[in-house]
Amino acid sequence: MSQQDAYGYAVARIRAMENRFLDASVLQRMIDAEDLATALKILGETSYSSALTSHVSDQDFDKMLEFELQAIYKEVESFIPNKKLLDLLRYQYDFHNVKVLIKSVFNVATGGEKRWDFLTSLGSYPVDTLINDIELEEYKFLPFGLNNLIPECISIWEQSRDVLEVERLLDNRMYALMKEIAFDLDIPEALNWIRTRIDGENIRSLLRLKRFNFDATRALSFMHCGGKIDTGMLVSLIVEPFESWKRSLEFTEFGKGISSIDGTVSFSEMILLLEKFLDDFYLDKLASSRFSSNAPENILAYLWHKEMEVKNVRMILVAKTSGGDKEQLRRLLRNV
Amino acid sequence: METLIETMSTQLGPMLVVLGAALAVGIAGTGSAQGIGIANEAAAGVMTEDPSKFGYCLVLLALPGTQGIYGLLVAVLALQKAGLLGGVAVAFTMWQGLGILFACLPIAIVGYYSAVWQGKSSAATILMISKHPEQIGKAVILPAMVETYAVFGLLVSILMLNGIKL
Repeated sequence: MSQQDAYGYAVARIRAMENRFLDASVLQRMIDAEDLATALKILGETSYSSALTSHVSDQDFDKMLEFELQAIYKEVESFIPNKKLLDLLRYQYDFHNVKVLIKSVFNVATGGEKRWDFLTSLGSYPVDTLINDIELEEYKFLPFGLNNLIPECISIWEQSRDVLEVERLLDNRMYALMKEIAFDLDIPEALNWIRTRIDGENIRSLLRLKRFNFDATRALSFMHCGGKIDTGMLVSLIVEPFESWKRSLEFTEFGKGISSIDGTVSFSEMILLLEKFLDDFYLDKLASSRFSSNAPENILAYLWHKEMEVKNVRMILVAKTSGGDKEQLRRLLRNV
Repeated sequence: METLIETMSTQLGPMLVVLGAALAVGIAGTGSAQGIGIANEAAAGVMTEDPSKFGYCLVLLALPGTQGIYGLLVAVLALQKAGLLGGVAVAFTMWQGLGILFACLPIAIVGYYSAVWQGKSSAATILMISKHPEQIGKAVILPAMVETYAVFGLLVSILMLNGIKL
């Protein structure tokens, strides 16, 4: 049986699971809800009800959303032919956990405290084992090449106190791993998607670095290899205003979307708009798989859609807690 | 040597007819089994989420099964024509037997490929009814278009069988 044929059942099930997605009217009602309790009550009428009942406190919605995502990952993992496909999305959580743990180590060393409350169970590697290995400095048991990378990160921090450099090294490793997995899976569309994500991440990093007045040479070290856009060309944009980025990136797949971002707004607003565009763009990149009844990318598309849905719900609930502006919220919601 | 050739020419005819019938049932049937298998995977996926869609799925996954029935029909007609299903024995030459074998090929070949593609097509429309069950009418028509070519294969096989005079 070819790899594609093996996904016939999985894609059909995914397609049926898509009926559980929240529709726009539910999100609209949540935005218009008076307070957090009302928004959660609306959410309780949807497929999130089981996640909601397992969490008693209204303020605990982050854990509830993590529970919902975890349940989806577990469900999808139970029926897809190759579990490695999920790693393309779960590595970001693994590396998030590693960053949290390493920063906790740094914090403790400087008299601060551990922030294990930021850890997530969504990664592919068990969090407890990760904590244990890093706390006991048993790095040799760590996966993803972290056995060498973590001592290197600690050594860099001890010498320079440069947390950005540590994050850069970890992100580099993460994207290299994602590319490796996509290559091993022998799914060209997945590899292409990862390369697009690397480019997107590079553009996002560049805009953030521009905000902090980084120069091209320093910015280059923050670019991840393996994308489709030449990193040398990208960093040369850092000295130019955002409006000229549109012209320079016109020939890339991001061209049309980047052009739609208003370059006259503040940096933080621009970064938010770019992040929204990128999240939507990654989903659009997988959209063509919808016409195939057995394309493995359908699994990625479903999971990314779910991730964006959870992101939307989180944004609404946070806005309800902090009294955020409804119009601003509507503008930033992902198109799912 | 002459006796051997004479025996072969009288017995090879019925053997070719049997081979033709076997190919019609075997190849078209294999295609149907494969096609139903493909559609079945999709149906199982959808029904895991929503078992109430069984009725819709059954209609769609049964579609690739018709090619196997066409193969069976042609095989029975071929065997009957050659008098191999009982009744009065029919005498025919090796060339007439070869003709019947060829007559069985259209449904065997077209039946196989159309069943597999119809299975894929049914799988795609099963995904469609998982979201829009009200579109079942359209969902049946799409894979049924593939059926046209299996019907052509059946028709030509029957015409060829009828055209062979024993």
